Amino acid sequence: MEATPQLIDSVVPALGELPVFFVGDAVNILTRSPIGHYRMPTYLRGKSGTIEKVIGTKAVDNEEEGYGRNAGSKGHYYRVAIPMTQIWPDYIGSPNDGLRIEIFENWLERASHV
Amino acid sequence: MSDHDSSHDHDHDHDHDHDHDHDHDHPHAPITADEKPGYYDVMETAVRELLVERKLFGADEIRRQIEVLDSRTPALGAKVVARAWTDPDFKSRLLANGRSGCEEMGITFYDDTQLIVLENTPDVHNLIVCTLCSCYPRPVLGLPPDWYKLKPYRARAVYEPRAVLEEFGTHIPDDVEIRVSDSTAVIRYLVLPMRPKGTEALSEQQLADLVTRDAMIGVIPVSYLKEAA
Amino acid sequence: MGSEALVRKLPNDIGGDAAGKIERVEHELLPWEKRCHALADVLDFHKIINTEEKRRGVESLGSEMIGKLSYYERWIVAFANILFQKGILTPGELAVKMQEVEARYTAPETSHHG
Repeated sequence: MEATPQLIDSVVPALGELPVFFVGDAVNILTRSPIGHYRMPTYLRGKSGTIEKVIGTKAVDNEEEGYGRNAGSKGHYYRVAIPMTQIWPDYIGSPNDGLRIEIFENWLERASHV
Repeated sequence: MSDHDSSHDHDHDHDHDHDHDHDHDHPHAPITADEKPGYYDVMETAVRELLVERKLFGADEIRRQIEVLDSRTPALGAKVVARAWTDPDFKSRLLANGRSGCEEMGITFYDDTQLIVLENTPDVHNLIVCTLCSCYPRPVLGLPPDWYKLKPYRARAVYEPRAVLEEFGTHIPDDVEIRVSDSTAVIRYLVLPMRPKGTEALSEQQLADLVTRDAMIGVIPVSYLKEAA
Repeated sequence: MGSEALVRKLPNDIGGDAAGKIERVEHELLPWEKRCHALADVLDFHKIINTEEKRRGVESLGSEMIGKLSYYERWIVAFANILFQKGILTPGELAVKMQEVEARYTAPETSHHG
């Protein structure tokens, strides 16, 4: 990400208005188990990755939309890079192979160590 | 498509169309067996007509959307790829924002999806999948093939992509990194394949003709046989 | 524990599951399947049934129906269920309409062209 020059620091953004993770941040995917409808596949829960891209446009939480609110709690999605060997201990292939997925903010937590 | 709807209440268009195709030569029995719509076909017609009767949308909207769907084929994606191969400025805009890159070429996005274009290089090979359902870059490629929506591909692409690629006849050397993108949000993907060697003299359209749907999913490379007359 | 897994892991959530060889099947959509796809898009445009509700509706058909119905068969059944849930249609109305549609094709041969 480019440096952001000369931000006016007296501006207070709304809660949730700005992304909370940035490119390169280490994150953990949470392990909760929603029922009914979810968009966080089980094979990735509890895995760790790195933010590769912040999706610029905020979008609705697609798990909420499963029940037709059509009102939308918008938030940020992040493209997260996860090494295959981290997901599958018996992975066959190059250790560089990886998975990419966009994850809604409320499924991520900052990893305590990189 | 002539067989989907009609502007009046009762949708008889499609049996009439078929009648005209068949009536002359064939007696009745096989025709009625042929034409009798299946259970789900009837259900679709019934749901749609009830909603149109209630004015929740117009029959014309369905007709139009079928035209929209019919106009979206892998040929569109192929033109995008060929443009990216021949115009470096376009390519960098496309990689920065896939949707607006496609929109530059007149490819509209009729839904809320965004697009990330994933560039294959000598060091990185991209593969796209949707493990939860069948997310696919429909505005640029049209509707996905059945195998993309079925369990074997969806289950295995994220677990053993190299074995999956081998089943498509694609061998990726171990020193090339494989990146599998699993689309579960409102982001869709298009793979920008590598331009094959020996295509320097080809025009943009000739290049586009080389690009297949499967190459833009990432299961095969784009190939070029010079011998082709 | 066995039954819990059925609730926690939706039948469509198959990333990483064991699965067989990829059969490269594809087919040209039948006219009704294409109409069904267009219907899905139009329902989403108007947020009568948004895309996420459609997914949830398909997921909630349960694994037996998901396994035995084809792709667009699942969609149209899910649409009907959601429209009932939302009070837009009733099961009785749909049943009557389906009989009416079917009757168009079982009319006496002589009045084929009306």
